[in-house]
Amino acid sequence: MQVYLPIAEMPVDPFIIIAMGGAVGFLSGMFGVGGGFLMTPLLIFYGIPPVVAVGTEASQIVAASVSGVTAHLRRKTVDFQMGGYLVAGGGIGAIFGVYLFRYLRAAGQVETVISIAYVVFLTTVGGLMLVESMRALSRPHHIDTPRNRKRRVAWMAALPFAMRFRRSQLYISPILPLLLGAIGGMLAAIMGVGGGFIMVPAMIYVLQMPTNVVIGTSLFQIIFVTALTTILHAVTNQAVDIVLALLLLSGGVIGAQLGARAGVALKAEQLRALLALLVLAVGARFLFDLVTTPPSLFVVSPM
Amino acid sequence: MQIFTSLLAAISMSTAAWATDITVALTQENIEVDASFAGAHLTLFGVITGLSEIETKATDIVAVVRGPDADFEIRRMQKKNLIWSAGPAILMEGAPALYLTSSTRPLDEIAPAQDRARFGLGAAFASNSATFIPNNDKAAAILMQTGPAILRSAYIKAAQDRGAFRERSNAVNFKKGALFTITQDLPADTPVGLYTVSVYLYRDGALIAQDEAQLSVNKVGIERRIYELAHNQPIAYGIICVLIALSAGWAAAAAFRR
Repeated sequence: MQVYLPIAEMPVDPFIIIAMGGAVGFLSGMFGVGGGFLMTPLLIFYGIPPVVAVGTEASQIVAASVSGVTAHLRRKTVDFQMGGYLVAGGGIGAIFGVYLFRYLRAAGQVETVISIAYVVFLTTVGGLMLVESMRALSRPHHIDTPRNRKRRVAWMAALPFAMRFRRSQLYISPILPLLLGAIGGMLAAIMGVGGGFIMVPAMIYVLQMPTNVVIGTSLFQIIFVTALTTILHAVTNQAVDIVLALLLLSGGVIGAQLGARAGVALKAEQLRALLALLVLAVGARFLFDLVTTPPSLFVVSPM
Repeated sequence: MQIFTSLLAAISMSTAAWATDITVALTQENIEVDASFAGAHLTLFGVITGLSEIETKATDIVAVVRGPDADFEIRRMQKKNLIWSAGPAILMEGAPALYLTSSTRPLDEIAPAQDRARFGLGAAFASNSATFIPNNDKAAAILMQTGPAILRSAYIKAAQDRGAFRERSNAVNFKKGALFTITQDLPADTPVGLYTVSVYLYRDGALIAQDEAQLSVNKVGIERRIYELAHNQPIAYGIICVLIALSAGWAAAAAFRR
C-alpha cells in the first residue's frame, strides 16, 4: 500500500512512516526529549526532501509538545512568565531562521547547512551527555552533589532590567531568556527540531532555573515556537506536508506513551548514556555524508 | 540490378491505394493522481496502414512518452575544507522530467544515430532541446569548463537513477495484422503536467511515418485540494496545519490520561 504525499510529491509506504513516528515517539517518551532531532534526520534518510522534512517536523512537534505539556499544566510546573520571554525571543529567532532557510535554499546550500548544524549540535550534546552519564555510572554510590545555585557569572548579573521570576525563584534580566529563546527559535526553523535538547540544559545551567519547572516551561515555549515555524515554513517555503505530519503523529503519540512506560524500568544514567550514543550515531551519519565523495558529482533538482 | 529492384519496390508502393501511415490512440488521455496513486498503466493502441502484412512484419515501431517540459537546476558538488557542498547553479530549461520509450528492437538497431538525435529517440537524446543558463559568473565558469554534454549526461543519469528515464525493447505487441498495442508503466512519482506520446514507424533504418497523441497527468481529489491550498493560500494552510497538530496533541493527551 502506498500513500501519495501532496507537498513532498512522492509516494510513501504509510506503515513505514507510522513505524518511524512510533519508534521516535517511543524514544522521546522514554528519554523525555522531543524527538525532532531524530525524526528530521530519519525523514531525510528515508528520502523525504530535507526542506519538507524540516517544515513538516515542526508541525509534528507542535502536537507532541501539546500532548506533553498537559501533565505539566496539571502539576503547575510551567513558568508562564519565563515562558513568555522565551516565546518572544523564540518568535524573533524563528522568523530570522525561516528567512535564512529560504535564502540558503535559493542558494542551494540548505542541505549542507542542515547537515553541518546536525553534526555540530548532535556531537556536542551527545558527547557532553555521554561523558556526564559515564561519570555518573562509574560512581559506586550515587551522590547528589548540590549545585551552588547562587553562583552567578558576572556578565549575567550586570545585564540591565533585572526582574523577579517568581515561579523560578530568580532575579535576572529578561534579556537572557529572550536571547536563549531566539537561539532555540532559529534552530527550530533551520533544523526541524523543537530545540529542547539545547533549551533544557541552557535553562538549567545558564538561567539556573529549578529543574522541576524546566521541562514544562520548555514544552510550553516549544509549542508556540514550532507553531510559528510551521506557519512560516508553509508561507515562505510551501514545505509543510500535512499528510506526512498526520502519519508521523499517529505513530508518535502511541510510541511516546509506550516509551514513557518502558523508561520507568531503566536507570536515569543508563538512559542518558543510551540516548547519548544514539545522538552521536545520528551525528556521525551526517558527518559521514558530508565528508565522503558523493555518489554523483552533480546535483540535479527540479525548479 | 539493385537499381531495378528498388525501382520495383517504389512502383509497388506508389500503386498502393493509400500512403503508408501510423496512427496512435491512448485508452486514457487523462491520468489522475490521487492519495492512493501508485503508478499507472498507459495503453497505446496503434494501427499501421498502407502496408501489406509481409511489409508490416519488416517494420519497426518506437513509442516515446515524454514530458512535462521542466526546468532543472544543476550544481556541481565541490569539496571545501573537507566538506562536500553544492556549487553555483546552472539552470537547464526545457528538459522532460519523464522519458520512456518502448520499441520493437533496441533503438540503435532501428534508427541511425543522426535520426535518433533529431527525433530524440533514446534517453541519451532526451534533453537535446534544453538550454543552459548559468546563474552567475562562477556558474558560467563551470559551464565553460564542463560543457553542456557533461551536464546533460548528469541530468540523464539522475533521471535514470530515479527511474524516470527508461528504454524497453521487445515491448510492442502485434495484434491481428497491422494492429498493435504498447503497455507503458508510469512510475508512482510521475510528475503532473502535459505529455506527448509519439510513435515512429521505421523500415530499414528510415522513418516512414509518425503520429502523436497528448496525455495529461493531473492531481485530483483531496490531493489536489491540499496542494492548491498550500500554494494559493499558504497562510490559511499553515494555520490549519497548526490547528490540526494542536487538536491531535490535545486528543492524544486526553486519550492516554488515566
